[in-house]
Amino acid sequence: MDYRKLVETIPVPKQEQLSDRLIDFLLSSKNDDKMPSQLANTILHHWQNDILISESGLTALLEAAVLLEPDKTIGAFTELGLTGMAEQIKQSAPKT
Amino acid sequence: MVKFGIEFVPREPHWKIIYYAIQAERGGFSNLWITDHFNNRNVYVTLTTAAIYTNKITFGPGVTNPYMVNPVFTAQALATLNELTQGRVVLGIGAGDKTTLESVGVEMQKPLKAVQEAIDIFRKITSGENVVYNGEVFKTAGAKFLFKPRGKIPVYVGAQGPKMLEFAGKVGDGVLINACHPKDVEYAVSCVKEGVKAAGKKLNEIDVAAYTSFSVHEDIKKANKAAVPVVSFIVAGSPPQVLERHRIDVKKAEEIKEALKANDWGRAFGSVTPEMISAFSVCGTPEMCIERIAELLKSGISQFVVGSPIGANVREAINLISEKIIPHFKA
Repeated sequence: MDYRKLVETIPVPKQEQLSDRLIDFLLSSKNDDKMPSQLANTILHHWQNDILISESGLTALLEAAVLLEPDKTIGAFTELGLTGMAEQIKQSAPKT
Repeated sequence: MVKFGIEFVPREPHWKIIYYAIQAERGGFSNLWITDHFNNRNVYVTLTTAAIYTNKITFGPGVTNPYMVNPVFTAQALATLNELTQGRVVLGIGAGDKTTLESVGVEMQKPLKAVQEAIDIFRKITSGENVVYNGEVFKTAGAKFLFKPRGKIPVYVGAQGPKMLEFAGKVGDGVLINACHPKDVEYAVSCVKEGVKAAGKKLNEIDVAAYTSFSVHEDIKKANKAAVPVVSFIVAGSPPQVLERHRIDVKKAEEIKEALKANDWGRAFGSVTPEMISAFSVCGTPEMCIERIAELLKSGISQFVVGSPIGANVREAINLISEKIIPHFKA
């Protein structure tokens, strides 16, 4: 799945809210072992530079959230009214 | 003005700890302490990662011990980190935890002497000396770095008992007092003062830190719930005289200890009382925590360390501390 393309279609006013939710999912996740180290470093780099809400930052967060917490991620998109995107993620997310 | 420190236990993966470290630095914390226990992730790997992703926060092991790690290695690790971070490093060192040491077959012999000699060796070798040392616990026959160490690394002594506290005041650049209640902190600072006086120094020449078990949430029930597991372990490990000082039933503490040994978490955590939470943690809403910190400051502490669990949700708790608690004391 091309997460960057998907992120580009998220309305800007919803990006901050989504970023906040995804960070919470990741930090409270018990599935730490599913986080690829390269992706973790990309997220930290964006956080260090305070650009997690940028398209590249949100792309990294989304990719990680789908790996660690697919159901919660789909739920967050649905709650934000992004049902079409939620469906796309559901199709490509790892089965839990 | 009081400084705020924060402690993390590297039981969590590096990316979570470093996320929080960046958040803490941005939120006004000045010190980052990473615990050192063999059964968690390695302290120096965690500190190195923190060094890469932070810019100004001061950090170090909080605390290491001279039994598991030879002071020469500790000095090498911190001198290297000090070079990497251009002087943001401190050493936190104490006698260690007896139970943890015993679990790896290491005997905690002559704790005061071991810490004293370790600090001696650490200071000598990090100042570039060729160290020939003939101590009771440690001996070196000419230990010298093949690189030039960069600057002095402040030494904080982690202390709880009166002798170690006095020693900390005497030789430390800082002291990490393992206590949360004003009564305990006040007593600890009085011991530190003895050491400071004996060394011909003034208390404000060293950094006196209260290293606390902390839990903050806007909802007091959630703050308490997060504090309970940590408090249950502190109660179980406290000597009778400490429990009596806080009017905590020694039998009740014994019950908690037994329940923890049996992995009966429900019984152990369910036996923790509000009095225990008050004695062994700084816990509550931001306003309640401000009140308790203000009380602790009267004892003469210069750094307040927010330790585990920090809060029910660590990210939210760091935000609360940064937005409500730290500004209160910086105003």
